[in-house]
Amino acid sequence: MSETTNVLTNEQRVKLVQDQKKQEAFRNTMLSISGVLLFFVIWEILALSGIVDRKKICDVLEIFQLFIVKFTDPNPDGAVLLVNVWSSLEIALCGFGLAIVIGIPLGWLMGWYRGFDSFIRPIFEIIRPIPPVSWIPLTIVWMGVGLQAKAFIVFFAAFVPCLINSYTGIRQTKEVLKNVGKTCGASYFTVFWKVGIPSSMTMTFAGIKVAIGNAWATLVAAEMLAASSGLGYMILMGRSYGRVDLVIMGIVVIGALGVLISALINLLENAVLGWKKL
Amino acid sequence: MDEKKKIILKLENICQSYVVKDGVKDAVDNVSFEIYDNEFLVLLGPGHCGKTVLMNLIAGLETPVGGKIYLDGEEIHGSDRRIGMVFQSLNLMPWRTVMANVEFGLEISGVKKDERRKVAQKYIDLVGLTGFENSYPHELSGGMKQRVGIARAYTNNPEILLMDEPFGQLDAQTRYAMEEEVLRIWEQEKRTIIFVTNNIEEAVFLADRIVLLSKCPATVKQIYDLKDLPRPRNMTDTEFLRIRSEVSENTDLAL
Amino acid sequence: MTKKNNSMLSAAEIREKQLQMLYKILPIVSVILLIGLWLLASSGGSGFPSPAEVWDKTIQLFVKPVKKLSLIGHVGVSLRRIGLALLFDWTAGIAFGVLIGWYPKAKALLGPMFNAFRAVPPLAWIPLITLWFGIGEFPKVLIVIFGSLASIVVNVQAGMSNVEKMYLDVGTVFNATPSQRLLKIAIPSALDAIFAGVRTSTSAAWMVVLAAEMLGANAGIGFLISRGMDSLDMPLVLTGMVAIGIVGAILAIVTQFAERMICPWTRRKKSF
Repeated sequence: MSETTNVLTNEQRVKLVQDQKKQEAFRNTMLSISGVLLFFVIWEILALSGIVDRKKICDVLEIFQLFIVKFTDPNPDGAVLLVNVWSSLEIALCGFGLAIVIGIPLGWLMGWYRGFDSFIRPIFEIIRPIPPVSWIPLTIVWMGVGLQAKAFIVFFAAFVPCLINSYTGIRQTKEVLKNVGKTCGASYFTVFWKVGIPSSMTMTFAGIKVAIGNAWATLVAAEMLAASSGLGYMILMGRSYGRVDLVIMGIVVIGALGVLISALINLLENAVLGWKKL
Repeated sequence: MDEKKKIILKLENICQSYVVKDGVKDAVDNVSFEIYDNEFLVLLGPGHCGKTVLMNLIAGLETPVGGKIYLDGEEIHGSDRRIGMVFQSLNLMPWRTVMANVEFGLEISGVKKDERRKVAQKYIDLVGLTGFENSYPHELSGGMKQRVGIARAYTNNPEILLMDEPFGQLDAQTRYAMEEEVLRIWEQEKRTIIFVTNNIEEAVFLADRIVLLSKCPATVKQIYDLKDLPRPRNMTDTEFLRIRSEVSENTDLAL
Repeated sequence: MTKKNNSMLSAAEIREKQLQMLYKILPIVSVILLIGLWLLASSGGSGFPSPAEVWDKTIQLFVKPVKKLSLIGHVGVSLRRIGLALLFDWTAGIAFGVLIGWYPKAKALLGPMFNAFRAVPPLAWIPLITLWFGIGEFPKVLIVIFGSLASIVVNVQAGMSNVEKMYLDVGTVFNATPSQRLLKIAIPSALDAIFAGVRTSTSAAWMVVLAAEMLGANAGIGFLISRGMDSLDMPLVLTGMVAIGIVGAILAIVTQFAERMICPWTRRKKSF
């Protein structure tokens, strides 16, 4: 009977499957590239043909040029690109760092000890629904328009997801794991330290990722509403002077930096949560 | 018993294997057997031996790399309306009520609402879930969920019903009850049933015939004909126990 | 059995009872502490308004409108803006999410551009959009759309690309057509992810409309706050914040309620 054996040898089948995978990956890459190309082609057509007012759109190349020029040229917002970037990063990292240092341990404690939970929860629930952006006027009154005020707003934006996720993470610690700790004679605190916190790490990192996104987004708002430097201020000035190239370049830089920071956090997560891959 | 049995499904030299990284892993190796009309056939084999793969092949969820499947004498490719399936993992759709789950197959076939309600109700009654039509799966117990699964498969009026370890996740008591239920339903609504299990007792209790599979890759080791063992069967009966130990001695150990 | 006497309780039970009491008292203590802090902050002449001032201001806002609109009116203006934006999110956004979540080719084609789009923080679009469309009503709604669209698309896409194979298997066994697989299996199974998107997009929209209004508007709750900031009217700012908090909380409850109505099978464990 001819059907009893495979038509193809095993080596051929392996190769076939691998080829198919390669082909699919190739096709997807081509689609992605053409999608991006299509976007830029439409952009260029709109920009060069004059269908859209030249004040409202600019050539892609102009943005590249501006990007280079902006490294040395402080016009029109009064600072070169790197100064703006550093100013923004400084605030974001201050607020974000503070949110991690305060929010995550607080979440752990609230999730583990009921006393903490019942004490802090009401305050948290009252403050949580108020969007961070709306704190801006108050913080300006308190702290002026300096780094402190903006860092405080960023802190606010990043604090909530940090706390909620570390709380939820530690709450989801498996009873079995807790009992393993208890039967080994560990105290409630030791179980918290050795079992609760490690098992909440996945959720905690998810919270950190949300937090960095929030922090970065809120930072832009803070810089647009109250600042004299930074990327948010830069694009707002670009808007005031009608410099569309500066606005678009600023948006791209803000987006790219956001991606870069998230990538760094992912690297950190892989380092800390290496066991998850097993 | 009628000696002239009509063959309804025929597997011929079925082979299935998967490409894993740089090699090929065999799951089913040259399996051939026949299934008679309205027969209760049990596929028995150790864990992870390729029983589910065999079911998926018959149901058309996978395509074999070699061999042919004939239904009523014609070769079939892919899934066929004449074959229904009760899944191992309680594949009830959590967003549908019992009624909506049971009538799903008819809905897919484009049967009008009144009609499919009527048919679905008949099978809900048959499996003993009257009164639970509007419950959601998460409100049901494990045994009840499997009843829904059975009703859903029956509703499309298939000639062959595949049951892939349907009671594997139930506790022992519920399992015994469900085994009796499945026989009761089968007696009332005769269909050809192919039932997969790794439990020898369950196999001997249910089967007209047992196809014993070897460990992975699955091959047919032996076929037992139990038609002479009278129903309803008693698990403590001497004849029952004799067959049970005979099958048991012949079964490969799972890894 | 009659009620247990205190003397009959074991030491552990007494301790447990005391703890229960403590857990009931602590929330009250913390709220009192918060109000106390507020009073303390406002008494120091820091410009921070006292609760009484905020209350007066709130009452005033109902009687004496700012820019011809009472507090409710301003909230209404903001709600109308996010309503229009969410209408777009929940139609086009969900459709787009389904498209790139279900069809790998569509994802390959459009995914990179979408990812680039969502990498930009919502509020960063404000200068560009005002540059393009000025400061009318349409650009404001557009800003809210830009700011909230990504969150719903991401959720829908995740739900659609993680449809459990076992549900699709049921479809295969019953010979479902591709459109039946999409409409009767994939989309219903992704409904809870879609609703997660509805919830996050609602809260994102509320946040963005506020920022947009603070950056330039003649009405709306964000306008009230920036007006308070400009005229150093701190009670107005705080009233605005409280109103924002309350409306935001109501929106969250409404979407949750809608989810429970539409998807009665999801029993979300409420953790926070």
